[in-house]
Amino acid sequence: MELTDSELVQKCQAGEMSAFQELVSRYHQKVYMVILGLLRHREDALEVAQETFFRAFRKINSFQGGSSFYTWLYRIAVNMAIDAQRRQKRNPLDFRENMDDLLEAQNEVAQDPFSDVHDRELRESLVKAINELTPEHKAVIVLRTIEGLSYKDIGEILGCSEGTVMSRLHYARKKLQDKLSAYL
Amino acid sequence: MNSCENIRDSIGSWLDGELSPSQSEAVQSHVATCGACAETRRQLEKIDRTLKTSLDAEAVRVDFLPFWREVQSRINRKRSPIEQLVDWGRDILTAPRVTWAIPAVIIVLIGILSLDAYLPGWKFGAARNSFAAVDSIDAHGSSVALLRENETKTTVIWLYQDEEGENDAAADESAKSGPTF
Repeated sequence: MELTDSELVQKCQAGEMSAFQELVSRYHQKVYMVILGLLRHREDALEVAQETFFRAFRKINSFQGGSSFYTWLYRIAVNMAIDAQRRQKRNPLDFRENMDDLLEAQNEVAQDPFSDVHDRELRESLVKAINELTPEHKAVIVLRTIEGLSYKDIGEILGCSEGTVMSRLHYARKKLQDKLSAYL
Repeated sequence: MNSCENIRDSIGSWLDGELSPSQSEAVQSHVATCGACAETRRQLEKIDRTLKTSLDAEAVRVDFLPFWREVQSRINRKRSPIEQLVDWGRDILTAPRVTWAIPAVIIVLIGILSLDAYLPGWKFGAARNSFAAVDSIDAHGSSVALLRENETKTTVIWLYQDEEGENDAAADESAKSGPTF
């Protein structure tokens, strides 16, 4: 029978490395996706995801179980991604090159090169518009849209109230809507 | 309450399933009959869908074993003192703590600086201000001492003769009569 997250955390706190390995195997892809959503840079996202688990391991004894393990883990991941995003803004050239690679990867997915021109433009504009949001607004959009988390969970991860999550989401969506009005 | 503007502000939360049943009902029935709000709903759904598909296209499958090995090597690696210091700083200076710490520091500083108003006779930096500062300027044949006191804004100019300033008559005169104020 599969152990729950909190059972694995308890084993981990008792020093069982295999329990932590199991937690990493459960969440590494999800954590990577959230960080990629915030950073839009594959190598940076991988690096930050690995560092996230390293930090989670170091702090695992301070995890009291007041929230679920994944919201605690995502909090570490999002804080690290926001830090990395601020550093990323200081190296725009490297970021630009990576963005071009990502947009190319998206275009390869398009099956019909003619009918998809409009969608491709929308995707490209969306990526650019998302990157113009502040890290906090970007975080709510990513956690809601990609992960489908509730406002309560997003609030726990970002350390703010559900009302703040709601207003940040509203603001971010309005911004995206305004910037993408030509493609919607 | 159910104007288009209010409804549009709630469409995102309604699509997220975060409204109360009564609010949901109000938004749903309005959107069903209002073309402009239905268009807002369509646009928001398209943004969400596009965002999700674009990220799926960017994502790569992360192989677990190499990922785990890297995490393990970080766990086993001895961190340098600088890395440990940076880690400690990151642990301490988390966003919520900094958010509270900055106003707290400002309040404490304002409190210290405004102690004058609450503690009569106590003045911030009073010990420093009560001192008189003495500057001296050597001139040809005579010396000048300036005695300045900040609290009463008084400056005393003290002229006295230099031992070697025999040619200066004025200095001679002041030497006989002692210091001049």
